[in-house]
Amino acid sequence: MTLTRRDLLKGAAAAGVVAAVADPLARPASAQTTRKRELVWAQGGDVSTFDPHISTSSNDIRVSFNIFDNLVSRHPDGKLNPGLATEWKIQGQTAWVFKIRQGATWHTGDPFTAADAKWSLERTYDPAHKTRVSTVFTSIDRIEAPDPATLVIHTKKPDPLLPARLAFYGGQIVSRKYFEAAGADGFRSKPVGTGPVRFVSWTRDDKLVLEANPDYWGGKPDFDRMIVRPVPEMASRIAALLKGEVDIITQVTPDHNDRINANPTTRAVGALYAGLYVLAVNSKMPPLDNPLVKQALSLAIDRDLIVKELWRGRGIVPSGPIAKGDNHFDGSLPPLAYNPKEARERLKKAGYKGEEIFIETTSGYTANDKPMSEAIQAMWRDVGINAKVEVLEYSVRAQKNRDKTFKGLWWSDPTSTLGDPDGMMWRLLGPGGPQDYWRHARWDELGDKARFSVDEKFRGEAYKEMTKIVLEHFPWIPVIQPYEDYGMQKYVEWTPNPNQQFEIRRFNFKFRRA
Amino acid sequence: MRALLSFIGYRLFRALITLWIVSTVVFVVMRLSGDPVPLLLPPDAPRSEIFRVRAELGLDRPLPVQYGVFLGNVLRGDFGRSIHFREPASRVVMGYLPATLELGLTAFLFAVVVAVPVGLLSAVRRNTFLDHATMGVALVGQSAPTFFIGILFILLLSLKGGWFPTSGRGTWAHLALPALTLALFTMASVARLTRSAVLEVLRADYIRTARAKGLAELLVVAKHTFKNAAIPIVTITGLQFGTLLGGAVVTETVFAWPGIGRLAIQSIYNRDYPVVQCVVFLSAVLFIVLNFLIDLIYGFLDPRIRSR
Repeated sequence: MTLTRRDLLKGAAAAGVVAAVADPLARPASAQTTRKRELVWAQGGDVSTFDPHISTSSNDIRVSFNIFDNLVSRHPDGKLNPGLATEWKIQGQTAWVFKIRQGATWHTGDPFTAADAKWSLERTYDPAHKTRVSTVFTSIDRIEAPDPATLVIHTKKPDPLLPARLAFYGGQIVSRKYFEAAGADGFRSKPVGTGPVRFVSWTRDDKLVLEANPDYWGGKPDFDRMIVRPVPEMASRIAALLKGEVDIITQVTPDHNDRINANPTTRAVGALYAGLYVLAVNSKMPPLDNPLVKQALSLAIDRDLIVKELWRGRGIVPSGPIAKGDNHFDGSLPPLAYNPKEARERLKKAGYKGEEIFIETTSGYTANDKPMSEAIQAMWRDVGINAKVEVLEYSVRAQKNRDKTFKGLWWSDPTSTLGDPDGMMWRLLGPGGPQDYWRHARWDELGDKARFSVDEKFRGEAYKEMTKIVLEHFPWIPVIQPYEDYGMQKYVEWTPNPNQQFEIRRFNFKFRRA
Repeated sequence: MRALLSFIGYRLFRALITLWIVSTVVFVVMRLSGDPVPLLLPPDAPRSEIFRVRAELGLDRPLPVQYGVFLGNVLRGDFGRSIHFREPASRVVMGYLPATLELGLTAFLFAVVVAVPVGLLSAVRRNTFLDHATMGVALVGQSAPTFFIGILFILLLSLKGGWFPTSGRGTWAHLALPALTLALFTMASVARLTRSAVLEVLRADYIRTARAKGLAELLVVAKHTFKNAAIPIVTITGLQFGTLLGGAVVTETVFAWPGIGRLAIQSIYNRDYPVVQCVVFLSAVLFIVLNFLIDLIYGFLDPRIRSR
């Protein structure tokens, strides 16, 4: 029996319906407000360490971004706002001056000063500290703290994105005094930060207890305690939400949204992911070295169908390699086209003779990776591409990623760490980057210039031209920009961040009270 | 006495060999499965950074050297530092062990207390409705995947019924569903085994003799049948404890139970060699000790075995 693409998608849809059959408990409308003073949320795995410079895993940063503050804070709307720095400006080309917030204190009661920020940022690239974020601030030349309220960061070359870098991982500010008193082991198991919650206790893989910081500079959050529970199984996380045991759950897959929304007391809320799901391409491997073939691959993908059937509408079709919401995203570009007829034409023009083209997918490493691979394989076969799907184990993928030995196409879900093409397209596809399988002299030149220019107009033009080149050569075939979905009780009012930061602050979170 | 000592000595020797083989296999398999370093660093980390971390973890040394260091350390009870948790692996594992023992022992008791009487009863009442019904249920229990049963219990008994929490550890109510889920498979196998073992004995000549000399049926079953049927039951039930430890991997994940099964799975994903090695070693020790105890009980139940 040959499976058509439509059979496949129907099958996927049916599986989702089965998952949604068990109807949830009906609860009275009064459950839509609460008197709770405790916020309980569940994520897919436990925290591995509280030292924010030792891990970049999403389970860790969801917690560390609440215990610690950054100098600059990226709000859910994607804009940069004051954090531990109240304002900043560039002096000349390479000096950034930050005004440090006065009156902010550590959880121990000690005052926070510019010297703490200097030490914390220098620590990230100090070999003695063996951090896992040593590459975040490579543009920094030296840091000065002339007085407790001023921090000056000198960069080696102009770095327009320094404030953005300070807002993400690596930029969480840790206390020198506490770190030196507690030692590395003490610090990573009992952290002290300046954030809205402070550490109380932790039982591994069971629960983490935090309490509201009443002296927080941004205002005490709307709860007394915050409890984080690791619940690895999606079905168990949903059950815990529906039963009212937890207030928020993370990593909700699209097929579970209906079930959460059908329950009278819960709802699913999403933020458009700050990044893309792309099929990265080894453009050195024939016939993928021919741009016409890659154009055909892109044209043969019915992205609308994938969004509708496999993602239940929880995503948008990208228009290029820059995610919607990022700097220099071009809203005038149309979504990537589906045109099987044109795809066949370009294959013919390319002289494609049925060579095998591999999609090396994982199963469940990124959401919907295997179902999307199978659907795309069927779409490609429809236009005469000899597509093969191979399923890799996670560690094999990690190994291939490191050794750059993918033989065709593979899934990548790059996060736009800086809210800018430099932190995504250039970080991954640039020369020497982790997905360096394609070079183009003009594209490389533009990317390098844009990285070191503080002229936003120039940068905008450069990224426009780079996008055009990508849409001709397709070192990435963008497929979808999905929503990051969360399930929550209706009495929770919270706006999630698009980049898994899971920031819970007074400005974006409150319980609906009776 | 001498026979008993040489019996114990021989078993101990075999146990040590088993432990050595188990730890070597884990060592080799973990290293075949891939490198933990790419999983620890951001995807854009430069190669120099990867080499630095590899050296820091001692993974740049030749395999035989790593193996030698590993064996030497294991003899001293040192499994190395966890790559993920950055503290001694044995301390990490010991932190998770109580939860698994709590779950495993409860499930084991659950299984034995229910399954042995049920098996006995369906053997004695062979081919009645009771026999067919219990064995039917046992067949389902044995064939349904733990994962499915766990989710089903959460939906029915927790979400619909509202009697138990959906997941987590804390009160006895938290323990009930995971213990029941874990017990189900063991319960089913022990019940089926008890039934066939008892049936076997019921056909023996000495039972016919016991009945012929006019003993009450209750005495025939309780004294003559059950004690003789107990040998295979004890063996299999003991071995089932090992299956329980294996089943804990799935059950602990479904119910978010903080035990070593879940730790093992996460550590395999994280390529946390020291923790995986320690978990497997510890499970093997538990299993071997249990087998050893069973052998002793065996000897007590059947004196013929002792003299062999």
